[in-house]
Amino acid sequence: MSRTFQVGDLLPPLRHTATTFQLFRYSAVTWNPHRIHFDETYAREEGHRGLALHSHLRAALALRCVTEGLGPAWQVTKVSYRLRKPVYAPADLAYTARVTAAEGEGLTLELIEENPSGEVGLEGTARVSKITGKTADRRLVSTAGAAAR
Amino acid sequence: MSFTPEPGTPLATYYAHTKPRIGAVLARRSLGTLDAVTIGRYAMTTGATDPSHYDPVAARAAGYADVVAPPNLLAAIVEWGIGTPQAQLQPDGTPPDGEVPLGDADLRLRVMGAGEEMELVNPVTAGTELALQTTLEAVTPKQTRSGPCVFVTTLNTFTSADGAVLNRNRRTVVLRNPAQES
Repeated sequence: MSRTFQVGDLLPPLRHTATTFQLFRYSAVTWNPHRIHFDETYAREEGHRGLALHSHLRAALALRCVTEGLGPAWQVTKVSYRLRKPVYAPADLAYTARVTAAEGEGLTLELIEENPSGEVGLEGTARVSKITGKTADRRLVSTAGAAAR
Repeated sequence: MSFTPEPGTPLATYYAHTKPRIGAVLARRSLGTLDAVTIGRYAMTTGATDPSHYDPVAARAAGYADVVAPPNLLAAIVEWGIGTPQAQLQPDGTPPDGEVPLGDADLRLRVMGAGEEMELVNPVTAGTELALQTTLEAVTPKQTRSGPCVFVTTLNTFTSADGAVLNRNRRTVVLRNPAQES
């Protein structure tokens, strides 16, 4: 079910077209009223070239590349990313994750978001660990409060 | 390091007002109970395919108590509960205590996410009662290609009702002076 990974391995890239529909729904579900994401006239007044993708949406897509590329036997424990430039909808984006360290039950991956011209918009790293019996127990302990609601 | 915003600009006002508060706890609050619909909608909106976000049976088979949130759901939600009445939103639409820590609507600063460091300590599942503490960690002026900026980092610690840390997120936003009138 789970394969082993080595430094240099590249997970399957996540290719995604971000649309204004998606921005609207992302604003709605995160209850985010920031106008740069849905009011193009306002966004341009602020100096943007269109409706800006939410930074968290871009991070969520980069993390999908990791979680869907690795599968359920792994869990994300740490993430860090920085946004080098804004992205405007509609946008064709490619997210990649490459293994840069592999030790024990953990991997470190380098995350990259690129637009079709090869410009990097987001870069980051993710730490993941393989789910063992011990961590599976911890999951249940940590959610005991939820189970007892 | 040596850069400071030009005196008299909104960024300089913000920086002077905020710098002495570095290290301060800005807020401690209860966020209510995270429900399965919010998790499912967030997952669907981002296109996530893992059934553990949608299906309690799949989630339990994977070891969770209930459907589990995608990794950055807690980080991404701007307003919890019912949110801010429209009349109280700032001109850019953000709530007064939303995207700009210690923000002042009169300054008309422009804000964007610049990055985040997240420690995902425990999984976040439906039914969890959430609390959030926000601490101001850093306020750093920088001269960038697009002009003077102030980077503001807050530490957002999300816990469950039993005190277990779920996420420890260091979120950085970048602030710029208002757009020039043209």
